[in-house]
Amino acid sequence: MNRRKFLTILGSAGVASTLGTAATATKAEAGHVFPYYDESYGVLHDTTRCIGCRRCEEACQKVNDLPKPDKSFDDLSVTATRRRTSADAWTVVNKYEVDGKPFFRKLQCFHCNDPACASACFAKCFRKLPNGAVVYEGSQCVGCRYCMIACPFYVPGFEYDEALDPLVQKCTFCEPRLQEGKLPGCVEACPMDALTFGRRSDLIRIARARISENPGKYVNYIYGEHDAGGTAWMVLAPAVDGKGAKVEQNPIDAGHTMKQLGLNTHLGTQPMGELTYGALGAVPMIVAFWPVLFGGAYAITKRREAMAKQAQDAAVNEARQDVAVAVDAAVRKLEETEGPGAADRARRAMTEALKAREAETAHARHGEEN
Amino acid sequence: MSQHTIVIPTKDKLFNLEPLLTRTPGNILTWIILAVGLVVTVIRFTMGIGSVANLDDNWPWGLWIGFDLLCGVCLAAGGYFTTVACYVMGMKHFHSAVRPAVTTAFLGYAFVVVALLYDLGHPWRLPYMFFFPGTTSVLFEVGLCVATYVTVLFIEFSVAPMEWLSCKFPWLLKYRKLVIRATILLTIFGVTLSTLHQSSLGSLYLIAPEKLHPLWYSPFMPMFFFVSSMAAGASMVIFEGMFAHKGVHDYMDETHLREADCVVLSFAKAGSFILFAYFMLKFIDMLVQANIPYLFSGYGAWWLLEMFGFVLLPALLYAKGSRDGNVKLCRIASVNAVAGIVLNRFNVSMIAFNYQLPPSDGYFPSIGEICISVFVVTLIVTAYRFIVYNMPVLYEHPDFKGEEH
Amino acid sequence: MRNGTKLLLLAAMALACTACLTAWGAGVAGAASLGLTDSGAPAAQVMFPVGVKPNPLGVGMKPVVFNHLIHEKKVEDCVVCHHTGDPVSCTSCHTVEGAAAGKFITLEQAMHATDIAKREKGITPQSCVSCHEKQLARRECAGCHSIVKAERGNDWCAVCHVVTPKMTQGQMRKGIEGKMAAAENLHLAEETALNKPQAVAVSPQAGPLKVLIGGLADKYQPNLFTHRRHVASLMEAIKDDKLAQAFHSSPETVCAACHHRSPMSTTPPRCGSCHTKDIDPANPQRPTLKAAYHLQCMGCHEGMKVERPRKTDCATCHKPARQSAD
Repeated sequence: MNRRKFLTILGSAGVASTLGTAATATKAEAGHVFPYYDESYGVLHDTTRCIGCRRCEEACQKVNDLPKPDKSFDDLSVTATRRRTSADAWTVVNKYEVDGKPFFRKLQCFHCNDPACASACFAKCFRKLPNGAVVYEGSQCVGCRYCMIACPFYVPGFEYDEALDPLVQKCTFCEPRLQEGKLPGCVEACPMDALTFGRRSDLIRIARARISENPGKYVNYIYGEHDAGGTAWMVLAPAVDGKGAKVEQNPIDAGHTMKQLGLNTHLGTQPMGELTYGALGAVPMIVAFWPVLFGGAYAITKRREAMAKQAQDAAVNEARQDVAVAVDAAVRKLEETEGPGAADRARRAMTEALKAREAETAHARHGEEN
Repeated sequence: MSQHTIVIPTKDKLFNLEPLLTRTPGNILTWIILAVGLVVTVIRFTMGIGSVANLDDNWPWGLWIGFDLLCGVCLAAGGYFTTVACYVMGMKHFHSAVRPAVTTAFLGYAFVVVALLYDLGHPWRLPYMFFFPGTTSVLFEVGLCVATYVTVLFIEFSVAPMEWLSCKFPWLLKYRKLVIRATILLTIFGVTLSTLHQSSLGSLYLIAPEKLHPLWYSPFMPMFFFVSSMAAGASMVIFEGMFAHKGVHDYMDETHLREADCVVLSFAKAGSFILFAYFMLKFIDMLVQANIPYLFSGYGAWWLLEMFGFVLLPALLYAKGSRDGNVKLCRIASVNAVAGIVLNRFNVSMIAFNYQLPPSDGYFPSIGEICISVFVVTLIVTAYRFIVYNMPVLYEHPDFKGEEH
Repeated sequence: MRNGTKLLLLAAMALACTACLTAWGAGVAGAASLGLTDSGAPAAQVMFPVGVKPNPLGVGMKPVVFNHLIHEKKVEDCVVCHHTGDPVSCTSCHTVEGAAAGKFITLEQAMHATDIAKREKGITPQSCVSCHEKQLARRECAGCHSIVKAERGNDWCAVCHVVTPKMTQGQMRKGIEGKMAAAENLHLAEETALNKPQAVAVSPQAGPLKVLIGGLADKYQPNLFTHRRHVASLMEAIKDDKLAQAFHSSPETVCAACHHRSPMSTTPPRCGSCHTKDIDPANPQRPTLKAAYHLQCMGCHEGMKVERPRKTDCATCHKPARQSAD
């Protein structure tokens, strides 16, 4: 490689990178309607259809080039243990007992409308894309793992055993595949259509239709429609009719079933990040108000000190004047009785004594101040 | 008592390292801890966090955050508490307590940052938060405030090393004067920053209501953290003073010794008030959130233990101690209060956190994590001793005696 | 008391029969009868939409002919239907408009309600529909009925709401007013029941013996579906079921369990006509072809509690392809 060739490569690399950043910048600006995208995609997970075959896990591993697990995907017994998503497994299927009947639920990133992880990240690694995916960019990740604290679904995993470049890992909604017009790996692999891909708004309609067309089959609750501010991936839960009792259709009663499926219905309907907005909103208040408050306190303290000093000086002066008057009267009396010579002598002695005393007190006060 | 002589470093003998290097049991223990800590450090940075820590995906934050960060920052609150009392409120008789408090605060914060480097996946990327500011993040606020406050504390503290080094580098005197003139500004700036990040350490957990037990979770957590940090500030001054009097008594001058008891009693009184207020706040919050049913569970008993044994009890001990002029009782109360603060931070970050996970998914810090935490504390103590042995912290430097500031 | 009522009814019945056979009923009652019930109640009964409001034109929903003989054999106790414990006719409390005696539960609700709240004490009443729905949980029904929801159109209504065309306007009016004599009612009911047309189900032989399902074969070999065996076993299970006979009103009804959502026919369209291989953006709710097969097969097997093959034993139905691209 000669010098010119090298420079050309260098130059083109520079141009390419500038173009790249420019392109992403405009794209981000154009699509900036965070946090809710009307046209965003989602996936509806119907747990009444899931058979726990782990095809989704297998597809996820293949599509994303994740490390192969120790136990093969054909071993379905692992679903009985309570597994969670990790840096190496972005989706897992677990078995849950719902009122005594086994059901399966797939765990992965819910791709919240207004994600807690993105709100919590202090280096802006997470973004909610207009297509619905919540994606993570590890190049600026500091590795603080606050996203993992913030995630209400226990989704992100961390590469604890990586020494130099440990990153947070989670389901990407197969963002690269979506860009190519392909379905997410797991959705494509599902043999039961337990995962339905579509626009989020369509999915909500589909879910409602399934609930109303199959009375007694589903709990009347679409998990993720409003939970934690709404999520792109949503879950339909089975209604298990224990002893022929009427199936509760009240959404509030769904918590019982959802809990057995490992889903928390107590997250509230506002995005998790909003819980911190009050505290963050107080920051400017404190920044503006505290200096005034403490500055004022300081000024009051100073003023009080100054006033105290003034009062003290006045008292000292008064006392001094009292002494002077008394001495003057005494000297005058001396003058009357003993003549001016004696008075002069007395006056001189008095001045000398006063001077000596003043010097002494001044010294003492100095010492005190030290 | 006032007859001892303090070794003032001179131009020729700038360092006074003997007390650190003599073979006393304390020093030997320090060396061992530091050596072990260094080994663990090497393992941590060559083989990853997972090689030394019990952290996992459910427990991304463990002892290093719960103790080193939360407790570290909180227990370093003595800095702002003392400077505000002395400079802003004009309680001049606390003057001798300011420098030790600022020193410990600075060391506390500096080593919080050091400890944080162990916990971060990419420690060298810490400054990234300024390049890609995630302004919606509470952690951003914490980071920004801690970074700024460490700087402020460093400037406040820098007077001591400058006085120490001025005999060799006289040009430092100019800067010293500048800093002393800015004292009140730095103090007010410091208390603002402290308010912000002490409270925002509580705000960190606001985002996870489903993970933290309802008895500890509250929308007012920022306030609880701030108020308890004030109590921690008062308690830590007494607590540290207790150890300082044991260990480095020889480096205290007459003024310090004269004022020490008064500082203890006054801070005890303040601590008593603050702890009472904190107790009432927590209690009312528990009632307002209708958490009484939770009190009858295991976590409830634990909460009651924290509230009565580690908040109300030290408040009462402080009150009695300060009224009777009983310094010893105040010191006992300070131990109790500091333990209470640590317990509270442990509860929020570890014990009551992830309370819904099955016990098999629980967390207990590994030997490695404990080693690092002990290592960091030892580093702080060693640095404190080094500073006290060399710099005018517990005594006034004869060259600067009598200056008003 | 109850036995007393029964005896009374029996006596009334005997009297009525004698009357029919002897005097004024002789002309109309020449045809065959359904037979006698064990309980002594009329073998069948026309249930008129009895109302309290004057209805001089006699308009109303077509009456229902209730075959007491068949139904009483299916229940253990009279109180299953006569939930008050008093074996009176439904319309004595539940009228079209609702009456105080029936707690203002209208006749329509009493016959059709499916969301009946469980009673704290006493007997929780059942409607015709709720009881019939419950029957669908039986193993022989649950297979098809768990994967397809029967369409509730006019045919469905007409299964019960049917009466002999020989009924006159006057008889209808009399019935609505509740003034029809027991014997006349029984006669009308028997007339209807005995002349009710029965749909003869398509024979399993009409369908193919085996079907090769291989359009998607990729990782697995095609599946050879034993069509006739499946259909035959389904039909065998319900061949003596009166409920199925009554409601499977078209010869191809059983076919429609799998070949759903298209007009009933013995030559239904292929599954792939609607179920596309990949998700159809216009109909995202529609299962893809692979899922459609799996949902139908597994849904039915689960409903019929067919334990094997397990849902995840893929190779039982289709052998893995010899060299998959793994």
